[in-house]
Amino acid sequence: MDHLAQSSILHGRARALVAAFEAGLAAPESFDTLACDIARFQAAHIEGFARLCAARGVAPAALTRADQIPAVPTDAFKVTSVFAFDEGAAQATFRTSGTSQGEGARGTHALRDVATYEAASVAFGRRWLARDLTKPVPVVVLGPSPAALPDSSLVHMCEAFVRAFGTPAKPEATYLVDADGVLDLSAFDERVATALARREPMLVLGTSFAFVHFVDAIGKDSFALPPNSRVMQTGGYKGKTREVPPAVLRSDLARLFDVEPRAIVAEYGMTELSSQFYERTLFDASAAQGTYAEPPWARVVPVDPETLAPVAHGEIGIARIVDLMNIDSAVAVLTQDSVRRIDGGFELLGRKLGAPPRGCSIAMDELLGR
Amino acid sequence: MSAARGDRRSRSVAERIRDVRIVQAAARHVVDRRAELVPRLVASTGLSREGVELALTHHVELDATDADLAQLVAGAGDSPRVTVVLSANVFVGALRAIALARAAAVDVIVKPSRRDPAFALALIEAAAAAGDAHLHVVEELDIAAVDEGEIHVYGHDATVAEIQRKARPDVRVRGHGSGMGVAWVAAGDERAFATAARDLAADVVAFDQRGCLSPRVALVEGDQARAEAFAATVHEALEHLGAVVPRGPLPPDVAAEAARYADTMTYACRAFVGTQHVVGIAPAGAPLALPPPYRHLHVASAGSRASASALLAPLAKGIVAVGSDDLAGARTLAPAWARVSRLGAMQRPPLDGPVDLREV
Repeated sequence: MDHLAQSSILHGRARALVAAFEAGLAAPESFDTLACDIARFQAAHIEGFARLCAARGVAPAALTRADQIPAVPTDAFKVTSVFAFDEGAAQATFRTSGTSQGEGARGTHALRDVATYEAASVAFGRRWLARDLTKPVPVVVLGPSPAALPDSSLVHMCEAFVRAFGTPAKPEATYLVDADGVLDLSAFDERVATALARREPMLVLGTSFAFVHFVDAIGKDSFALPPNSRVMQTGGYKGKTREVPPAVLRSDLARLFDVEPRAIVAEYGMTELSSQFYERTLFDASAAQGTYAEPPWARVVPVDPETLAPVAHGEIGIARIVDLMNIDSAVAVLTQDSVRRIDGGFELLGRKLGAPPRGCSIAMDELLGR
Repeated sequence: MSAARGDRRSRSVAERIRDVRIVQAAARHVVDRRAELVPRLVASTGLSREGVELALTHHVELDATDADLAQLVAGAGDSPRVTVVLSANVFVGALRAIALARAAAVDVIVKPSRRDPAFALALIEAAAAAGDAHLHVVEELDIAAVDEGEIHVYGHDATVAEIQRKARPDVRVRGHGSGMGVAWVAAGDERAFATAARDLAADVVAFDQRGCLSPRVALVEGDQARAEAFAATVHEALEHLGAVVPRGPLPPDVAAEAARYADTMTYACRAFVGTQHVVGIAPAGAPLALPPPYRHLHVASAGSRASASALLAPLAKGIVAVGSDDLAGARTLAPAWARVSRLGAMQRPPLDGPVDLREV
């Protein structure tokens, strides 16, 4: 069997997992079985992963548990191809946001079959953002359109949500930030007015920095959304605006949109992954803000940053994420985000920053800050 | 400030050089009588005993020429008083910092690094014993209370920015931030290749690569195979040097970063993981990664100086030293503020001014 066929079979198995989740059925196979099969496929077809396995003394054929799979650092996505196929085989190529290290230093994540990504994103997005909606609702994205930013995984996910959950609308009435980063408040106003008239709840999607711009533009005024509306906010600031503590932003947005704070749902995702994580606050009154749920096809394990061994429950570690939707890239990814397992999910504590090194040798973060 | 004011008449160049020579002689005195100092430096710097000995015997600028000092004095300016803040530097950097301040002003106030004060204190004590009565040490410093002259601050960007924010508007702050070195290994014969690898390893080992001149990236002119061969040779040299001058203990944060770097480069191309170092090889044409200090070197191939320049461009703001076996070629790659030196001498710049010409 050629490796395209192998990949397709793995995609089918992954999508079956998602379909079972959506149908409320038991998973057709175990997480570990599929994770190890994907790892074996990647070791066979990605030289770098085979080298990493060898360096760690891991024999792919002998893998039995997902936690045995060597995790690929997210940095690898910046310096080499993390893909089991030639670049031309990719249906979509997502790139991390730019840094002062230049365009070439952006991480790249290629997807051979984007349908798997979309199925998983929509299924888990529906679970925590839209499971109570019985019909399509107006969906507005405080971000650029897919045409303006085709290499953004976030924009692609938002587009999938618009298709899955949204009422029909023109792109200019859906994606409200133009190529220059200008927010179209009048289009937003129009969508809200229409939704109010039709008594339709809205789903508003956006990044933290877009929402801060919105708050700054509106000031003390409010922009009440229809009842039962909800807001998904994601991502950091990346120097694009002033930074606002999460609790303050949540409070600002609740006031601005006249929604309950629990209707402001934070999402955690990254370009290097195909799965996302959500706060459960919208549908679980007991859920804590800042605690994220993971789908049954992804596991977030805090690990010691040096030994990569899992830390005890409740201890802080670096997020090692096994993502069964990352079939053609890296099924296990080592992030730089600090997390802590708590009851009901994991807590995201932000990017791990080391202390400045002793001496005057420059640190990477310092260089990026210049 | 409570320090006594010195003789405020303007000094001639010769007098300034004389004053700097006193500081330099004090440094020699400290180095010659280092037996008591070394254990304290081992404890405060985190270098091994051999690393401290290496720094004191090979990397303290004790042999400045008159021309070097004339250049140092010419660039130092003239100020009624200089307040020196040594917050983060390799420990021997105190000599250059105090010499520069001494060249600029009669009155010099020094606030040593809180966690690494031993060498600076010993130096000032020795200078006082040699007749310099105008070097004063303070343990605490209220930046807003500095009411004249200049503040010279050596530290990470955040420290420099903090002091700039607190300083009075009429007090000039000269900030010398952190930086990094880069090596350029030009096309050459096999013998030159081996020499370059050995010399570069010596530059990496000095101060456990924690100096702002320490090389963190090496660009090798030629194809990928040549870069890989060079990386293997540097790896061997670092292994050998590590046995002679062991690395100090690795802080947990750095150990984690090093493990991550080794995994990343193993995945991307190859990593030589030594007993006390890692040498990573970049895939051809890939953007440069910056490994952590403490003996971690990133090696990449560059087909030409032009392609080397393109690879270095995103890191240029942090580059303050370029070492090479081809000085003319290196000068074309180095930012204007960077020092250019031969490999093996990157950590021994002449005492002719600040380590770099960049002010933060």
